[in-house]
Amino acid sequence: MNLKLIRNLAMPFALVAICTFFAIKEPSFIGPRNLTQLIVEFSITGTLALGMFLVLLTGQIDLSVGSGVGLIGGLAAVLIFQYNVPAYLALGIGLVLAIIIWSLMGLLIVKHKIPSFIITLGGLLIFKGFFWQIIQNSTIPVSRGDVENIYSKLTTYYLPHQLGLILASVIAGLFAYLMHHARVARREHHLAVSGSLKPVLQWFVITTGIVGLTVIFNHFRGVPLTVLVLACSASVIYFLTQHTAFGRSIYAIGGNAEAAVLSGINVTRVTTLAYTLMGAAVALTGFMTTAYSGASTTTVGDLMELDAIAACVIGGTALRGGRGTVGGVIFGALIMTTLLNGMTLIAVAPEIKFIARGAVLTLAVWMDVRLSKK
Amino acid sequence: MALLEARNLTKRFAGVTALRSVGFKLEQGEIHALCGENGAGKSTLIKLLSGIYPYGSYEGELRVNEAKVEFESVRDAEAVGIAVITQEFSLIDELSVAENIFLGRLPKIGIRVDWAKLHEDVVILLQSFDLNIKPETLVCELGVGQKQLIEIIRAIDKHTGILVLDEPTAALADNEIKILLNHLKRLKEAGTSCIYISHKLDEVFEVADRITILRDGESITTVETVKTSIPGVIRAMVGRQIGDLYPKRSSQRLGEVLMSVDNLCAANTKNDELILKNITFQVRAGEVLGIGGLMGAGRTSLLMHLFGVWGVRCSGRLLINKKCLDDNNTPSDLIKHGLVLVSEDRRRYGLVLDQAIGFNLSLSSLSQFVSFGKLDLIKEYETNQVMFDALRIKAVDQTHRVGELSGGNQQKVVIGKALMTEPQVILFDEPTRGIDVGAKLEVYELINRLTDQGKAVVLVSSELPELMGMSDRIMMMHAGTLSGEFSRSSFTQEKLLAAAMGQS
Repeated sequence: MNLKLIRNLAMPFALVAICTFFAIKEPSFIGPRNLTQLIVEFSITGTLALGMFLVLLTGQIDLSVGSGVGLIGGLAAVLIFQYNVPAYLALGIGLVLAIIIWSLMGLLIVKHKIPSFIITLGGLLIFKGFFWQIIQNSTIPVSRGDVENIYSKLTTYYLPHQLGLILASVIAGLFAYLMHHARVARREHHLAVSGSLKPVLQWFVITTGIVGLTVIFNHFRGVPLTVLVLACSASVIYFLTQHTAFGRSIYAIGGNAEAAVLSGINVTRVTTLAYTLMGAAVALTGFMTTAYSGASTTTVGDLMELDAIAACVIGGTALRGGRGTVGGVIFGALIMTTLLNGMTLIAVAPEIKFIARGAVLTLAVWMDVRLSKK
Repeated sequence: MALLEARNLTKRFAGVTALRSVGFKLEQGEIHALCGENGAGKSTLIKLLSGIYPYGSYEGELRVNEAKVEFESVRDAEAVGIAVITQEFSLIDELSVAENIFLGRLPKIGIRVDWAKLHEDVVILLQSFDLNIKPETLVCELGVGQKQLIEIIRAIDKHTGILVLDEPTAALADNEIKILLNHLKRLKEAGTSCIYISHKLDEVFEVADRITILRDGESITTVETVKTSIPGVIRAMVGRQIGDLYPKRSSQRLGEVLMSVDNLCAANTKNDELILKNITFQVRAGEVLGIGGLMGAGRTSLLMHLFGVWGVRCSGRLLINKKCLDDNNTPSDLIKHGLVLVSEDRRRYGLVLDQAIGFNLSLSSLSQFVSFGKLDLIKEYETNQVMFDALRIKAVDQTHRVGELSGGNQQKVVIGKALMTEPQVILFDEPTRGIDVGAKLEVYELINRLTDQGKAVVLVSSELPELMGMSDRIMMMHAGTLSGEFSRSSFTQEKLLAAAMGQS
């Protein structure tokens, strides 16, 4: 219990410390332009981490997503640039293909009981190979000439200022309604309800965050579209994990797979579905991150699987499965992105960045192990 | 002068006394058998003698050659020459027979293993057991019986003074048993003392010089084998009255047959060994069918197989509500047809310990709360609450973590989860294992309520009094077959135990 409290407090504290450090080193870190960039990067890492979250919850892992991100993003770019396929169709094909590949991979893992570590490690190499083959080790832009398309707009479209503010207010209102609703329901069923100060404070922090950020974004170009992609993904994953039988089954399988089988849960179907959704997250991330770099090149997606895993684990997702929350994952992704963005901004050498990334991942897993023991 | 002596041993586990002032004497060069029902305290006694339960965790004293000993660990017991062979294998599958036997004491020249000498020694050892195995054979290629023999050879070859064998023949074929027993007799003549535990009384009578009988954690008597008989030993093992621990079963008419098993044979998935042989039985609405038998008789395998989680069906049928179910049904299919299993190992097979009581209660019956793909959390909570109250689960509320509950309350959650699937037939595997008397009574009352509602119950239990107190009918299993069926009017512990031992 005590350890958990330390952990819950340690994470926000770490985020504030990281931000303060970078802001002092380089004041433009908290400028509207950099914050906008940071939030786009955060949306990309966050979306992938949400997919990884489902896989980790079942007690499995997926090391192939970084290569997958490159492959799917590259495929869509090639379809558009070389075969003149309409952008929406190219994205659709990429999405469907990712879903099929990850479903098959999931099926292979659960049906034949092959460790996911090995299968997805194989996937990492195979996807990377196909990826480089498809783009022929070159750089493929996401649009032909300078014609904007839905693919290139993914990371360059910003919401009109008023619309951003309206959306922010609506979301703040929605949060207030949902939080109040949950409290009423708890009280009706005689469950312990915390004092009203804590939820009001919670709501205040969330609202200030959302509205405040919107105002800051509006000082640059507005709220980036990718934020909406992340928000939608997070809502969907939250709904799935907390309000569906699928979500229950996922937690049960990760918590105790044998008991899940004897409880009548179809472990094969549920775990495969988790991989299917991972595939969808890979496709979305692939599109966003390729669009963000403007073109598909051999390095797109490199090491993203590790960032996604780190984000989940930092956010309290257990590597052995069965424990974790969507909020935690989002928070973990924010810490991870802030760190990477800040280091790029103050021009940390790439070799040091590798070391820092690895250290954060190791630290997060060490904390996970410590917490799981108890 | 006793070689090994236990005086007034008392061992308590949380709330349960496993041994009560047990006395036991092993003389030099004798084979001394320990007999008793499941749970009589044999295993606990051995664990004390072999240092698994260290000195200080029990009361009373142990003496070796009249000198008091205090074993802190298994190593201490081994140092004075006590070696234990248990039913669990400690062989390393990927190493050869020779390496396994001499593991930790391989003959060496310098730092190099002396393979020639190793193989020579092992060949002699294997020959003395009439075993036709090459020393370089990998252990994983051996059958269960051969593995057991290798395990025994390894222990014996350590030149121990006291050899403790816990059910050594459970996995052995008849000819292997004969070899083992002969070898034990030879060892005895060479001066080794031996504590021999077996449910197979004919073996006991063949090799043992004396028999000590344990019952309910007490040493009842020690007799010389020549002065007693198999029925006499069985009588001493069970000689106890059934109190009124068991609530009265309302005598009501039995309804239709709800579950019927026809000539079922099933094999272990791993090695195709036939474990369940020609099992046929029926259970009616309102009936409790008890299934008894000794450890390894196949009771748990039977229930797990019926529930679709163990083994391969070789032949036979399972009918629930007159509906024939094919052999590749998963638990989720079977639950839909009205069958449910309450497993014996609740922590392993029953509960997601990290999650709340409510999460676990509704886990098998989530589909009833789904509307348009969404879980109705309020309806779920309310339904859970009904079960939570009905079972009198002792916790603040149903959001409490299951892992923190007591064994009895955890068991209630597992049972509650099964009942929420609204089953017709409930398979209970050792539903009262490891829970206190009060919780036991509640489980018994619950079982009676279920049959009053016209459900059929199959109750597997290792405790004969529990079977006799709760069942309308009892089937005994022995080595994967049904070895006897008894109606309530003809239950006696002697008959049941004889059937369990394959004596009838």
